[in-house]
Amino acid sequence: MAHKVLAIYASRCTGCRICEQWCAYQHHGAVSPAHARITVQQLHLRSAPIACNQCRRAPCIAACPSGAISRDPMSGGLQLDAEACVGCRLCLEACPRACIKMDAEVGVPLLCDLCGGEPQCARHCPEGAILCLELDLVDRAYRDDLVAGKEVL
Amino acid sequence: MSELQGGLAGSLLRVDLTYGTIRREPTPEALYVRRLGGRGVGASLLFDELAPSTDPLGPANKLIFLTGALTGTLAPGANKMCVTFRSPLSETYSFSLCGGHLAPELKFAGYDGIVIEGRAEQPVYLWVDRGHAELRAAGHLWGKFTHETEDAIRAELRDRAVRVAVIGPAGEKGVRFACIQADAHREFGRGGPGAVMGVKNLKAIAVRGTGEVPVADGATLARLVEQAYALLAQHPKARLRRACGTPEMVEATNRLGYWATRNFSGGWFEEAERLSGPRLRETLYVGDRSCYGCPVACGKLSPVTLGRLVGSTIEGPEFETLGLLGANCGVGEPAAIVAATALCDAYGMDTMSAGATVSMAMEAYERGLLAPGDLGGVELRFGSDEALLAAIEAIGERRGLGDLLAEGARRAAEQLGAPDLAMHVKGMELATYEPRGVVGMGLTYAISPKGAHHMIAPTMAAETAGEPSRRLRADGKAALVAETQSIMALVDSLGLCASMRFVLDPHTMLEMHAAVTGRLLTEADALRIGENILQLERLFNVRDGFRRSADTLPRRLLAEPMPSGPSAGNTVPLETMLGEYYALMGWDSDGVPGLDRMRALGLEAEWAAAIRGQTG
Repeated sequence: MAHKVLAIYASRCTGCRICEQWCAYQHHGAVSPAHARITVQQLHLRSAPIACNQCRRAPCIAACPSGAISRDPMSGGLQLDAEACVGCRLCLEACPRACIKMDAEVGVPLLCDLCGGEPQCARHCPEGAILCLELDLVDRAYRDDLVAGKEVL
Repeated sequence: MSELQGGLAGSLLRVDLTYGTIRREPTPEALYVRRLGGRGVGASLLFDELAPSTDPLGPANKLIFLTGALTGTLAPGANKMCVTFRSPLSETYSFSLCGGHLAPELKFAGYDGIVIEGRAEQPVYLWVDRGHAELRAAGHLWGKFTHETEDAIRAELRDRAVRVAVIGPAGEKGVRFACIQADAHREFGRGGPGAVMGVKNLKAIAVRGTGEVPVADGATLARLVEQAYALLAQHPKARLRRACGTPEMVEATNRLGYWATRNFSGGWFEEAERLSGPRLRETLYVGDRSCYGCPVACGKLSPVTLGRLVGSTIEGPEFETLGLLGANCGVGEPAAIVAATALCDAYGMDTMSAGATVSMAMEAYERGLLAPGDLGGVELRFGSDEALLAAIEAIGERRGLGDLLAEGARRAAEQLGAPDLAMHVKGMELATYEPRGVVGMGLTYAISPKGAHHMIAPTMAAETAGEPSRRLRADGKAALVAETQSIMALVDSLGLCASMRFVLDPHTMLEMHAAVTGRLLTEADALRIGENILQLERLFNVRDGFRRSADTLPRRLLAEPMPSGPSAGNTVPLETMLGEYYALMGWDSDGVPGLDRMRALGLEAEWAAAIRGQTG
C-alpha cells in the first residue's frame, strides 16, 4: 500500500489561495472558501495552507461515534457517510492539524478525499507549497528549505 | 431572463452615514452589461448620483466600492476592487483600485459593491457579515494606525479571516492624498479616498463572506484558467515580477533616462543600481506575497530597519514608491525608502503623492523658500534620509510644515509662492516616469481623468520598444495613448490586476468573461465599451468645468529641456500630441466631446447633462 499524502511546505506559501479555489471548485462546483477542504490561514504577512495530513491511524476516524468516516482504499483519502454522520464535530476537535471545517448548510464535516488521487490543491499551487508525494519522499523538500535558509513552520 | 448568467453576487449595499441607514438593493445589471463592472459601473453611478461640483470633502461626496464580474471566480488576478469618488486632491472624477483579498470576500458575502453616502456624527465602522450589515462605534479606533485598526477590528469581531479596509490618522486628518488600506499592505492609493472616508467619520469597512459567485460555464472557465496559469508561469514579464516585484522596472527606466529624479529636475538617478530589482532581491526582500487567486506573487516583503516602525515588515516598496520616495527625493538608501513606506502605510497615505510632495518641498528648501526651523531643525535637502522620514511623519500628523504639505504639492507650492515647483496635473502629482524621456506618458498625464496618473494609459513599454528615439518623439503617441487607455478601462472594469495584461490578451480576458457571464464580447465590442467609459469620465469632468486649459503639464516639462542623461535636451511636445488625441477622441479644440461621437456611443443624455452642468 503506497498511498500518496499531502506534504505542506508552509514557508513557500505566498497566500494566493489558489488551492482553496480549486478545492472548492472540485468538491462544490464553485469557488467558495467556506467549502474548501484546505484553508490558507493568514496572520499579517504570513500564511500557511492547513490541509489534511492523511494520518495513518486517523484521529478523525477514531473520534467519530457513528463510524461515518472511513478511508478510501484506492486513493487513501477520507470519505464520509453523510447519512450516518450525526454532525457532532468531534472529528474537528480530534484533527491534529485543525483542518476540518463544517459545511454549514448540510451540517457535516468537509473531509479531504485527495480528489480521488489527484489533489487539485497540489496540482495548482504555483509555489510548490503543497505537494502530493509518496510517504518516503515527503521529507526531502523540508531539507531543501532548510538548506536554502528558509524558516520551516 | 437576465442578460448575465453569472458573475454577479446580485446586491449592492447602500449606506447612508448621516441617517445611519443601510439598504440592500439589486445590483444594476444593465450597467454591468453596458460597462462591465468596477471602474466602468463606478463611473456610471458617480455621474448619475453626484451633483455637479460636489465638494469632495463635504457630506454629499460618495465612495462607491465595486467589484468586477470575474472576481470571486477561478479567474487569475481578478482581485481588484474599485472605489469611485470625487477627489479632494484633484477635484476631478477619480477612482482607485485595490488588490489583496477584499474584493472576493465582498462577493462571497453576497455583494457586488457598497455605496457610502453622507457623514456620520461620530466615528463608526461598517460591519458586513453576509446577510447582516451594521454600523458600529469606532471612537476607540480613531487615531490608530492602519494595521492597529485592522488588528483591533479582527479581535473585536473574533475572526482573523475577516477582511478589513481602513483609514489611518492621515485620512482622519484630511490629508488630501490619504489612502484606504486593505489587507495591511494593499491600498486604494491615489486621489485621496482616505480623506473622503475620514470626513465621513468612517474608520473602516469589515467584511465576512461564506458564499459563492454563480458562473455560467465553470468547466470552460477552468480550462481557460489552466491555460492562463501556463502562460503566466512562462511569460518573461511575469517571471520578472515574480522574482523582483514591480522594481524590475527600475533598471530600464533609469538606463533610458526617464526615471524622475530630484523633483523632476532630471531623468537619471546615479544611485539607481542600489534600488534595482535584482539588487533588492538579493539584499532586501525576505519573502513573497500574492493577492487573491494570483500565481505571480509580485508582492515582496521587506523588513523595516530604520525609524519609528523598526522591527515591522512591509509589503513593498513598489516601483512607483521607489521612484517617488526614492529617486525623486534623491534618496538611494533602500532602508530609508522602506522606513518611509512603512510610515505612509501606518498613517494611511499614498506613497506616490507623499514622495512627490516631499520632493517639491526639498526643492523649495534648496531654493531658500523653506528654512530648517520649518521641519523641527531638519535640513530638507535632496538625498537626506532624515528629512524624508521627518517630513512624512509631519504630514501624517499634520504638524508644522506637514500641515501645509498634507494639502498636496500643488496647494503647498502655491502657498510657498512657487507654483511651478509642483509636479502635478489637475492637482495630482505625477508618477515616476519622467515624460521628457517618454513623451507619450506626458500625454497620458495631461489627459488622465483623475489627474497625472500613469495607469490610465501606461505606454512606456510600447514607446521604448524598437527604434530608440521613438520614445522622445510625438508621432504615433496620440493613437497609442487612445488605444492603451481603452484596454486599461477594460482591464479595470473586469476587476483584473493590470499585471495580467502583460500575459493575457484582451481576447483571453473576454473568453473568461464569457465563461463567467455567458455573454461573449468581441474585442471590438470590448474596446468600444472601454471608450464609452473613458468618454463618460471625460464628461464628468467637463460637467465640473474642466477644459483644455487643465490638460497640461508642469512648465518645467514643456519648456525646459531635460538637463542631462540619455534623454538630455528633450521636452514634451504636448500641444502636437494633444491636438491629435482630441481629434481621435472626437473632442473639440477646447477638449469637449462632440455630440456626434457621443451619440454613436449612446452617451447623448450624459453629454447633454454635462453641457448643461446637470446630473445625469
